[in-house]
Amino acid sequence: MTAPIDSLAKVCGDVRAAGPEDGVLGAVPRLVAAPATVAEAAEVMRAAAELGLAVVPRGMETRLDWGLPPERCDLLVDTARLDRIVEHEAGDLVVKAEAGVRLGDLAAALAEHGQRLALDSPLPGATVGGTVATGSAGPLRLLYGSPRDLVIGLTIVRADGRIARSGGKVVKNVAGYDLGRLFAGSWGTLGLIVEATFRLHPMPAAAAYVSTVVPDPAAAHEAVQSVLHSPVAPSAVECAATPDGIAVGALLEGVPDGVTARSGQVNDLFGGGARVEQEPPAWWGGYPDGTTLIEITAPPTALAHADWLTGSATWSAAGRGLLGLPGDLTPERAAETLEGLRAALAPHKGGAVVRYAPEPVRDALDVWGPVPALSLMRRVKDQFDPERRLSPGRFVGGI
Amino acid sequence: MGAPEELPKLLNDCVHCGFCLPTCPTYVLWGEEMDSPRGRIHLMQQHQEGAPLSDAMVGHFDACLGCMACVTSCPSGVQYNRLIEMTRAEVEREHPRSAADRAIREMIFSLFPYPRRLRALRGPLRLYQRTGLDRLVRRSGVLERLSPSLAAMERLAPPLGKAPRLPGFVAARGERRATVGMLTGCVQREFFPGVNAATARVLAMEGCDVVIPKSQGCCGALSLHSGREDEARAFARRTIAAFERVEVVVVNAAGCGSSMKEYADLLADEPAWAGRAEALSARTRDLAEYLVELGPRAERRPLPVTVAYHDACHLAHAQGVRAQPRALLAGIPELTVREITDPGVCCGSAGTYNLLQPEAAAQLGDRKAANVRDTGAEVLVAANPGCSMQIADALGRQSGGKGVPMAVAHTAEVLDASLRGLGPEVFRARTS
Amino acid sequence: MSTSLARLAERFTALLGPDGVITDPVRLRTYECDGLTNHRATPGVVVLPESAEQVAAVVRACAAEGVPYVARGSGTGLSGGALPRTDGVLIVTARMRRVLEIDIPNQRAVVEPGVINLDVTRAVRADGYYFAPDPSSQQICSVGGNVAENSGGAHCLKYGFTAHHVLACEIVTPDGEITELTADGPGYDLLGVFVGAEGTLGITTKITVRLTRVPETVQTLLAAFDSIESGGTAVSAIIGAGVVPAAIEMMDALSIEAAEAAVSCGYPPGAGAVLIVELDGPDAEVAHQFAEVERLCRQAGAFEIRIAADDAARALIWRGRKSAFAAVGRISPAYLVQDGVIPRTALPRVLGRIDALSAESGVRVANVFHAGDGNLHPLVLFDDAEPGAAERAEEVSGAILDLCIEHGGSITGEHGVGVDKSRYMPRMFTDTDLDTMQMVRCGFDPAGLCNPGKVFPTPRLCGEVPGVRKGVHPLVEQGKADLF
Repeated sequence: MTAPIDSLAKVCGDVRAAGPEDGVLGAVPRLVAAPATVAEAAEVMRAAAELGLAVVPRGMETRLDWGLPPERCDLLVDTARLDRIVEHEAGDLVVKAEAGVRLGDLAAALAEHGQRLALDSPLPGATVGGTVATGSAGPLRLLYGSPRDLVIGLTIVRADGRIARSGGKVVKNVAGYDLGRLFAGSWGTLGLIVEATFRLHPMPAAAAYVSTVVPDPAAAHEAVQSVLHSPVAPSAVECAATPDGIAVGALLEGVPDGVTARSGQVNDLFGGGARVEQEPPAWWGGYPDGTTLIEITAPPTALAHADWLTGSATWSAAGRGLLGLPGDLTPERAAETLEGLRAALAPHKGGAVVRYAPEPVRDALDVWGPVPALSLMRRVKDQFDPERRLSPGRFVGGI
Repeated sequence: MGAPEELPKLLNDCVHCGFCLPTCPTYVLWGEEMDSPRGRIHLMQQHQEGAPLSDAMVGHFDACLGCMACVTSCPSGVQYNRLIEMTRAEVEREHPRSAADRAIREMIFSLFPYPRRLRALRGPLRLYQRTGLDRLVRRSGVLERLSPSLAAMERLAPPLGKAPRLPGFVAARGERRATVGMLTGCVQREFFPGVNAATARVLAMEGCDVVIPKSQGCCGALSLHSGREDEARAFARRTIAAFERVEVVVVNAAGCGSSMKEYADLLADEPAWAGRAEALSARTRDLAEYLVELGPRAERRPLPVTVAYHDACHLAHAQGVRAQPRALLAGIPELTVREITDPGVCCGSAGTYNLLQPEAAAQLGDRKAANVRDTGAEVLVAANPGCSMQIADALGRQSGGKGVPMAVAHTAEVLDASLRGLGPEVFRARTS
Repeated sequence: MSTSLARLAERFTALLGPDGVITDPVRLRTYECDGLTNHRATPGVVVLPESAEQVAAVVRACAAEGVPYVARGSGTGLSGGALPRTDGVLIVTARMRRVLEIDIPNQRAVVEPGVINLDVTRAVRADGYYFAPDPSSQQICSVGGNVAENSGGAHCLKYGFTAHHVLACEIVTPDGEITELTADGPGYDLLGVFVGAEGTLGITTKITVRLTRVPETVQTLLAAFDSIESGGTAVSAIIGAGVVPAAIEMMDALSIEAAEAAVSCGYPPGAGAVLIVELDGPDAEVAHQFAEVERLCRQAGAFEIRIAADDAARALIWRGRKSAFAAVGRISPAYLVQDGVIPRTALPRVLGRIDALSAESGVRVANVFHAGDGNLHPLVLFDDAEPGAAERAEEVSGAILDLCIEHGGSITGEHGVGVDKSRYMPRMFTDTDLDTMQMVRCGFDPAGLCNPGKVFPTPRLCGEVPGVRKGVHPLVEQGKADLF
């Protein structure tokens, strides 16, 4: 009788028994496999299918503790060795990278050619695969969007171990379904992301952060609206609660003369006296303090009534907010806070999702809130993973 | 006009891109392919391939306003104007119509092209309006029940004043710059006599000797645009003969001008007339077109009024005259010109359309009136008598006696008021 | 008409009224094709619903009868995506054309699917906003059609496609349920896959679109070159300099000739290629970059550069480009419009190969393309009166697609796969790739009634899940493996 570890070892050079440090929100896998190539990843997934193993992918663990714990976790597929930049044709402004490539390394390679992937990476070490799987983005979302908007081609390994591609390496392409958008933010529940191709942007020659501090959300809203409806074309507009009030800032990117002129315009819109800096202010684009992180989605005008914008909470003009709850909050109070927030956001058609929380808090909460079209999502999941072996239970509605 | 063998080639020009759809008034109303130019061309193709002219098919051809907005919008140069005229002639030849339909058509075509018969109608109409009987009848809806077309005719008749008669010749003021013939039209002459008077005055003040031949009659536009080709040709021959001795024929009614510019095609197969027709077409000018060519000489006096300019289809689409009337209006000190939303979409008048397809015409009139109101202008300026009647009717219906009233005037009348130094009150006095 | 269609027609008349249902054969035939006329099929029944509820009722009735249905907007598609089924129902959204909400503070608008693309812009222009996707047919194509096709346009180089400008869609699922898909709600981004699925996953009934701020400045120049190669050099240099223009369009000598014949656009005589470059954005940015673009064009050998001083001059520059497709009709009795994509850096090689193809086959090819993103629109000219000419043109057109695939590109950049290109899909994707995409379709539409026969060359049987074993694994059964 062949042990699963041996079956896997036959197809993958790096397979080992898992230890407690490999746990995903308390679910400790039996095995960890780290395939070095796409083909090897496919073999690992095929073996897992044959053995009926529940699989959870892992990158650099920057967001592994987000979402819900997997119901089952037999095999952790570690993408650390899938770390090649497969193709970078600078003239085409396109890069293809394996899932384990860290965004920081990718950025360094692209910078040599004066290019960048216009995605913020607030958590150092985050990988290509993890960023796509969690759909993460930061302040630049306002102008450039999130992974769904920047992935132009995706290679995945399906639950049955087959390799499937969608999209390609050209930006303009409408051949077939865009699985890149479907997989962006799918949390490992549809398949294993092994390669992604991104569209790139030229690195701007100059950048300036223009910021001011206002007393309350209503004033912040006014400041943000004035910039959004002006022709200064900011790359990002951010707000953050600070001890002095609400900081509001705009990021302007372009040619040096243009950035100088536009900084002046934003300063005027802010009523003068704004700070203009080359580097981001300390509060820019980070995650708030706290042991529970809530991510808010709402249209820009929801800011006017954002009473929750306190502590070290942040708001992005693209329509995202981040709120941290302190560790000493009881699970009951945390649940109340969340429900209160959802009730306040409902008139704006907004919502709130708990990204991470200590176990007792998580157990007391409805992590996802209402999910429209859930039945369609379940049906799509059933097609991709009929045996529920891919990160089971990690996602909405028990998917 | 147009040899039948030409039809397949003309049909083949359509590449089915659909650019004509949003410009087509009936597509805008109903959103149906068969009531778009692309769909009608498809129906013509089906007929060409042997499908009979069914009631359904003819209904879609009849519903076309012939506004030619599609011709303007077509990137492939499809000559829809010729296609629909050929098709209408075919329908008139081949398709039996119901007795009621026939009767209405006969009445229209034995009335409108004949100024004398129209004049005969004026007396009773004036009396009818003065006594207030018109409002009573309108409120009763009795005409609507009897015949929507008759009701439309009743509603559309503008409030009638005294009709001044024009002399046969009006001499230029100051040094003469040109000698022009002037078409007085049928509906224009009888229902909007003030427009003709203003046209003659403006031309004279700009230095033109104006010749107004007594021998002129209907130009044939209504017949031509309804597929009654033989009738149209007879009118055309008479008009050509009447204007053969002037350098330029100035026309102040868009529908008339466009049909006169088509005489060359209409009479192409008649050797005795082809050359004369072509020459007349080449000499025909819309009033605004001509005045811009001539250049302003008379002094424009301030006219502090806001106007909305309406593009008559037969001016904008059929003759391509868009910039000139706007330039003339803009040249008047203190006058503001506002643009109407969807300027290219027909008001629903379209020659006899508001008489033959009254429901659709009324819906289009309402849309146009709403867009006209939205401009906030005090005076609507249009250069076609059909449009003026149609939009005035819709504006009246829309305000329901309560809304802000709005005057309707012809470009010629606005220019006339400026040249003569009359104030804007001259328009305010005649609001709808 | 089959009995099930006849039953449906009766049901639809009860649901929509007689005005909303078309069964007359002559009328039905006017719906036999969309903007692509070489595929035709007269629909069994046409319905013109006016609300989401009516669409849902129609879809439910079709589902109950097992009758296929196809949605159609303005019918301007160029891949036969709205080709009807003779045994099915055509659901036309042309009467669902209300702009329901304009929300400038939140930079969005809610529209019904039949609203015309340009009408969205018209509705918000006074507020300083516009709807960015601008396909050439924007004056007539519907927003619902844009969603289905993920439409782009000349300016998508900088601003992206419909997928980037749609925030939410209310859809009628193939079950006949009305549900909302959003880009940023919790759960899968079903909206992301719905946009561009060519109407195979459901019918959109309400669309929340993102509105884009009108740029402070727009600058356009026209540069004339001796050859396509030197024009291509300019494109590479501009992109290489880190400039992201709003649009870069190129036309070759043959397409310039056609445009001159059609609209007398007055491009510089003797040009082997013209390049149109448009920059937009804040004044200070555009001024700087525009000077750079001008310099780079000269460096690449432009012998004449014209700069549009105002909107009228800009319209004149664009007129030749925008008329190019229809204009080719003036220099050739018939032509095929191809739509392929290649990596921008492969432009010189691929254009050279197209030249060679044209020379070998004797089939003339005019090239018009979105040079900035490598989206080629070769126009393959032929005389439809000449026997065999259409087939030869078709062959050349197909060979061009093969060139695109060979160079790592795509068989369609904006026209969609539809019915026209489904047979090329296996050249670009493996069976597994296509099977995987169709898993999504099986999730949405297991019965396969929603716009069947489009995108994929062969349907996937939704009941079967290849490669995944059911029941106890044989190795386990044989005692060779262990389950956790």
